[in-house]
Amino acid sequence: MRVNPTPMPDLLAALSRTRRDTQQALLELSSGRRVNQPSDDPAAAAVLVQNHDQTIFTARYLQSLSSIQGQFQTADAALSSVIVALTRALSLGVEGANGTLSDTDRAAVAGELQGVQDQLVSLANTSFQGRPLFAGTLTNSSPFVADNTSPSGVRYDGNDAVNTVQIGDGYQIAANKPGSQLFVAPGHDVFLAMSGLIQAMQSNSGFDAAITALRDAFDYISGQRVFYGNTMNQALAQTNSLGNVKLQLSQQENTLASTDFEDAASRLVNSQAATNSTLAAIGRISQLSLFDYLK
Amino acid sequence: MSGLYGSLSTALSALLASQSALETSANNVANANTPGYSRQRPVLVPGDPVVLGRFTFGTGVVLKKLESLRDSILELRLNQETQNQGHLDSTLGALQQIQVMFSGTDSGIGDAITKFFDSLQQLSTDPSNLALRRGLLTAAGNLATVFNTTAHNLQEQRSNLDLNVVQTVGEINTLTSQIAAVNQQIANLENVHEDASTFLDQRGSLIRQLSSLIDVSVITTERGIALTTSNGTPLVAQERSFPLTTQIAAGGIHKVFAGTVDITALIPSGKLGGLLDVRDNRIPALQGNLDLLAASLATALNTAHRTGFDLNGAAGTDLFVPPPAGGAGAAAALSVAISDPALVAASSDGTPGSNGNLLVLSAVHDQAVAAGQRPLDFYGGLVFQVGSDTASATADVDASQLILRQLEDQRAAVSGVSLDEEGANMVRYQTAYQAAARIVTTVNSMLDSAVNLGKD
Repeated sequence: MRVNPTPMPDLLAALSRTRRDTQQALLELSSGRRVNQPSDDPAAAAVLVQNHDQTIFTARYLQSLSSIQGQFQTADAALSSVIVALTRALSLGVEGANGTLSDTDRAAVAGELQGVQDQLVSLANTSFQGRPLFAGTLTNSSPFVADNTSPSGVRYDGNDAVNTVQIGDGYQIAANKPGSQLFVAPGHDVFLAMSGLIQAMQSNSGFDAAITALRDAFDYISGQRVFYGNTMNQALAQTNSLGNVKLQLSQQENTLASTDFEDAASRLVNSQAATNSTLAAIGRISQLSLFDYLK
Repeated sequence: MSGLYGSLSTALSALLASQSALETSANNVANANTPGYSRQRPVLVPGDPVVLGRFTFGTGVVLKKLESLRDSILELRLNQETQNQGHLDSTLGALQQIQVMFSGTDSGIGDAITKFFDSLQQLSTDPSNLALRRGLLTAAGNLATVFNTTAHNLQEQRSNLDLNVVQTVGEINTLTSQIAAVNQQIANLENVHEDASTFLDQRGSLIRQLSSLIDVSVITTERGIALTTSNGTPLVAQERSFPLTTQIAAGGIHKVFAGTVDITALIPSGKLGGLLDVRDNRIPALQGNLDLLAASLATALNTAHRTGFDLNGAAGTDLFVPPPAGGAGAAAALSVAISDPALVAASSDGTPGSNGNLLVLSAVHDQAVAAGQRPLDFYGGLVFQVGSDTASATADVDASQLILRQLEDQRAAVSGVSLDEEGANMVRYQTAYQAAARIVTTVNSMLDSAVNLGKD
């Protein structure tokens, strides 16, 4: 059997193969990524599209949560002030009701109560980043305005709508509580109760009913405040769980796309050794021919 | 004829034969690195004997012919594998350029889709914020642009392939006319019973080149060879070649014609086959899928957008310019229909603070919009398809190269010039020449003795 007398093309082909392996290993080592283009691992490349999507979304959910938490903290602080103001109004009411105050004193208390009422309106118009928090979704103007035609002297211009915000895949929470459910809920109208107390103070009659109504409004609004506490707890729990999701996604990304450094390094060494020995072989064969020995 | 003069003429024949044999070796050595060259060897036969009385004397040596060593079956296999290689090479080259458009998770269509839905989520926390609304429109614009760019790049790629098709047809025509010319030379020589092996090598080499461009079947007839494509389109018949032509057709691409017959779809292998496959099948399929994704995404988002209300309380309009009917060209034409951020229909009830419709828009992310798949699943499918096509083409090219190398090895084992062998032959022929020359000297001296016989 005659052998191929010109092995050079074979060796060159082998050389180009080993050099390509070296390049691939070097690319993986330097970029730190095993999947640099879809053909490197088509299935992983397809999964990475989803992974990227979920990673971006997880970061967004976390940002949404922090934005909601900001709103909720502001709302909760406003309600806390409302409760302080109502407590003050109640004690003023009880003070006025005990019958020892003069007309002048009661007028002064009524004036003070009016001040509380104004403070309550202002608190109910609390805004976050320029938008009222208790207007439902009618956020382009302050929801509570003074209106003499209204029995309470305050009119609600907002609506009953609630926005929900996504804070996880298929997980939405209410992002606001409309003022209609907090301050002017039927039967628990804070402003009506306040104006009732002011009227009682001015007329020196009907204190019991007025104080009962205000206490009721106080209890109601305290109860409603729980909503913010609950939602913030929910948000906190979700923040933690999203932290885990983020970690898992980044681990998945690592597993799918990151270079297996030991593997890549050993491939680099192997391919370089192969290149060197091929080069040595090429150097060797080119020297050997019978013509060298013919004189 | 025997006697001293006979010996002289026998020695002369040996001198001539050795010279010719040496010349053959010299030619082999000279062509040691000529691609497609098949080594030659002298075929020496004893001269016709003469009978003198009871004895039969040899009359020396005759160089009968120079024989080229080639294995025609092997050549055939080589041609076939070269066709395969040409096909795979051109396919892989094109696919590698295509997959760049689908590489990288931080860029491209997938990323733009994600970022668009991300900006919807962002807006949902503060739906009347004009900056965030502008952000949403920017994200929508980016989504449209990346679809446009990808569609444009695919089309560009297709045009380049088309140009390459025209050039390749030109190369094919050059080669077929060269082969026809060589056929003529071979016929001329063979008609007068001359050795045409150099031209045969040339023709073999040309057919190899042609095989890398188009599928070729070689039909050997008694009057020479004919080349056809595998579907029977004649390329060369003896001394005539039949050029292929290209004609521009609908869509600005060139069709390949043999005479008046459109053979564009009938070329399965060779570089031309690969180019046509990518140009006419793979890229259009990809374009179709991109168009489907762009059209269905835009339509679904438009439908969702129209259910809402903008910042002014007016009913939502289309977010994207509605894709063309049927979807063809949707990716290239995708554009955002509104530029005023107030017109983003975020509200579900007309109030400015409502984000209800953003949730409807966001839901498209998880809707089966394109071929029953969610947008990103569909896109992930495209990435997988492009990646696995490229990966398998790479593997095929590697395998084909290996086969080709083995066949080349086998061919070289039969036809390749070995310098060792030629060196040894040179020594043999030189020695034979020296020996024959020695005989001439001896005969000369004997003749001298004979002429001077009887002298003092």
